[in-house]
Amino acid sequence: MALTLNMTVNGKARKVTVESNALLSDVLRVNLGLTGTHVGCDTSQCGACTVHVDGVSVKSCTMLAAQADGATITTIEGLAAPDGTLHPMQAAFKEHHGLQCGFCTPGMVMSAVDLARCEPNASEEQIREWLEGNICRCTGYHNIVKAVKTGLTDMQSGGKVAAE
Amino acid sequence: MAEYLRARTVDEALEALARKPFRILAGGTDVYPAAVGGPIRDPILDISGLSALRGITREADGYWRIGALTTWTDVLRADLPPWFDGLKLAAREVGGVQIQTAGTVAGNVCNASPAADGVVPLMAMDAAVEVSGADGTRVEPLDAFITGPRRTTRQPGELVTALLIPDAGAPGVSDFLKLGARHYLVISIAMVAVVLHRAPESRRIVRAGVAVGSCSPVARRLRGLEAVLCEADAGAPLEDLAQENHFAPLSPIDDVRATAGYRREAARTLVRRALSTCREALA
Ligand SMILES: Cc1cc2nc3c(=O)[nH]c(=O)nc-3n(C[C@H](O)[C@H](O)[C@H](O)COP(=O)(O)OP(=O)(O)OC[C@H]3O[C@@H](n4cnc5c(N)ncnc54)[C@H](O)[C@@H]3O)c2cc1C
Ligand code: FES
Ligand code: FES
Repeated sequence: MALTLNMTVNGKARKVTVESNALLSDVLRVNLGLTGTHVGCDTSQCGACTVHVDGVSVKSCTMLAAQADGATITTIEGLAAPDGTLHPMQAAFKEHHGLQCGFCTPGMVMSAVDLARCEPNASEEQIREWLEGNICRCTGYHNIVKAVKTGLTDMQSGGKVAAE
Repeated sequence: MAEYLRARTVDEALEALARKPFRILAGGTDVYPAAVGGPIRDPILDISGLSALRGITREADGYWRIGALTTWTDVLRADLPPWFDGLKLAAREVGGVQIQTAGTVAGNVCNASPAADGVVPLMAMDAAVEVSGADGTRVEPLDAFITGPRRTTRQPGELVTALLIPDAGAPGVSDFLKLGARHYLVISIAMVAVVLHRAPESRRIVRAGVAVGSCSPVARRLRGLEAVLCEADAGAPLEDLAQENHFAPLSPIDDVRATAGYRREAARTLVRRALSTCREALA
């Protein structure tokens, strides 16, 4: 069953026609070409596919695109300013070298930006608990946690706040 | 190709279910992983928009009602008495943040995994399941509703609309302990929930619920132990009341996560620990 869906993706109105059982992650990557959203597993565990739907972080592999009809979606491509200035959380990942291969990074950053909404002054322990659903096979997490800590601070101190 | 229907009302959902056996989709956090990367071929009835079924309320008839669309994050944020703490501890164990924001308590129950974390505290709280169908609504105790691994008494035309928890009308405490191979994101080797209520004016225990999960096809209550705990003095070393024969309802198996013997030992240790935590909290 084909469905026509309307959603706002990274600030732009998009209309897509997809099969009823298409996953949001596939529609973002294949139909909309937003391949920054990664798919790292088929068990909803790795978190590489994390995006924001109506401001809340979700695993886009664990949602049908049909469920996002009418929703506002932000992917990793939507975080930086139009002139290319990185979002404070992205800048913090760069500064602290919070990545190696980079596969988990889009999901890590999207999760971390959602943490700023829920717990802007999160402790190291809270950051680690929050990132439970984001798996990294490279870094050993230490630099990711440092990056998130800095990113949270910079998001408060006048750094550009997520455009959503 | 699979049909997709987003229900706007409970009646609309029930009409659809009466028509054909849709796969019900709540948070989807069991449905999607179960498809292991393949497309979902069942016709889907998406109930995630039924906001009328979301939230925890205290009903006039002495019941707490957890609507079927209540998520684990909703449980964590709700203002609830201390005897719900065990359920909150279980909520924090279910996946990570994104899974807790999407996954529902009722989905955990309907999925009926032997390792479902939510089922254990709910059983210890005497929860019942409210099931609605074309012919009306029935209420069934949780331990009768789940009949085996991934099996419940829900009929194809039925929808679970709420979980109902009786209020013991007495001060209570609870604890939940989960043992896994590591702290985060694991399927339980064993988990235990204890709920104790004491008389308002004394330290006499008036209601006890003890349940163990992952050590039998369906989580089990340890009714023998509950009987001994009732009438006990909350100040006494309750953990010493747990005897070997109280664990007879369990039938743990060997699998990739642990041996049966290890599970049995773990269940005993976790029950003792939870009892001692509850005793300290009650005193
Ligand atoms: C990474 C990850 C980690 C997880 N960790 C844990 C864990 O630690 N402990 C744990 O217990 N679980 C865990 N889970 C499993 C899952 O998140 C929970 O069981 C969750 O509560 C399921 O709820 P849901 O709303 O997502 O269910 P869904 O996936 O939407 O549905 C589950 C089943 O219940 C049926 N169903 C749902 N709602 C109803 C209803 N109202 N009436 C009738 N049938 C219904 C569906 O048809 C389906 O068969 C994990 C899952 C993932 C992906
Ligand atoms: S691809 Fe979504 S959690 Fe792994
Ligand atoms: S940087 Fe490689 S998976 Fe995280």
